[in-house]
Amino acid sequence: MEEKELVRLSKEGDEEAFASLVKKYKTKVFNLAWSLTRDRETADDLAQEAFIKAYIALPTFQFKSEFGTWLYRITVNHVKDFLRKKSKMSKLLFERMKEMPLIQENEMIKKEKEQISEERRKLVHQGLQTIPEKYKVILSLRDIQGFSYEEITNILKISPGTVDSRLHRARKMLRKKLAPFFIQKGGNHEM
Amino acid sequence: MRCKKFERLLLRSFDELLKEEEKNELKKHLESCVHCQIKREQYQSILDALKEKDFPEPKPYFWERLQPKLTGGKKYDAWSIWKQWALRAIPASMLLVILFTAAIILFIPPQSEELSESGDLLLRNLDPLQETSILLEEEKLEDKNMMLIFTAMEEKNSTGRYLP
Repeated sequence: MEEKELVRLSKEGDEEAFASLVKKYKTKVFNLAWSLTRDRETADDLAQEAFIKAYIALPTFQFKSEFGTWLYRITVNHVKDFLRKKSKMSKLLFERMKEMPLIQENEMIKKEKEQISEERRKLVHQGLQTIPEKYKVILSLRDIQGFSYEEITNILKISPGTVDSRLHRARKMLRKKLAPFFIQKGGNHEM
Repeated sequence: MRCKKFERLLLRSFDELLKEEEKNELKKHLESCVHCQIKREQYQSILDALKEKDFPEPKPYFWERLQPKLTGGKKYDAWSIWKQWALRAIPASMLLVILFTAAIILFIPPQSEELSESGDLLLRNLDPLQETSILLEEEKLEDKNMMLIFTAMEEKNSTGRYLP
């Protein structure tokens, strides 16, 4: 069955049709929530709540955009609401990480590549949690989820120019946040 | 200033949005600018770290867990809509009550007060002290008393006062 038909039936309260839509989009919605929260349990809860919100709001869906885009918009807004409540906690975590001693060059050599890469990933994602919400969201959509500029324009309902400038500002901001971790002994600029 | 311009080009290059001309321009700059080379490495490092190799999967039985919440969610929605309306209705009704009271106070003319007996006499262009002055003018004490008695016995008019 075509997606439009599934959406139409779901609007009329057909749970089976909605189940098909959930099956199609659950991973993407979950990933979107996970990339912004980095917690599987929380992301799962947020994904479920986003689907409930979408189900409730379905009668208002006018087919002006793709169902997926509309659903991602609901998800992003729902996660944003959640993050607003959690923002203070994330900042504290990052501050605590900053206080940890930097991994020395010699020690790094000894470590396995995978481990270093995991540490780096952890640090970058912790940094991501500390930047303002709108920048965090755009980085998540573009650099984690890999949405195109056009898709981001539709999900966030902003102009392509704004996507471009906001994304650049977000990347710059994240680099600035992570700057203390770049400079290490011996002038090594690798993280 | 030049580096700032190239930083923008550098960031756009990660999204493959550069024209051939811009690509060459950036390449040329990067060859000669160590500062921008470092920046490129840092950005690349961040973007690589952001890219997930494997995303976790949502917890099992996603739909089975979601389905019972959907009907509950609808109930919650009806309640939330009611709550939302109720919250707006309370201040709105209070405002209406205040406006209604203010309108009553300001626009409805006060009812005319009942005139006092003296006021009534004055309105009818009569001297309220006339009856008293007649009594006072009487010289004989007996006559005064008699007049008082007769006045009391006299059928009272609407004002309850003696009128000659």
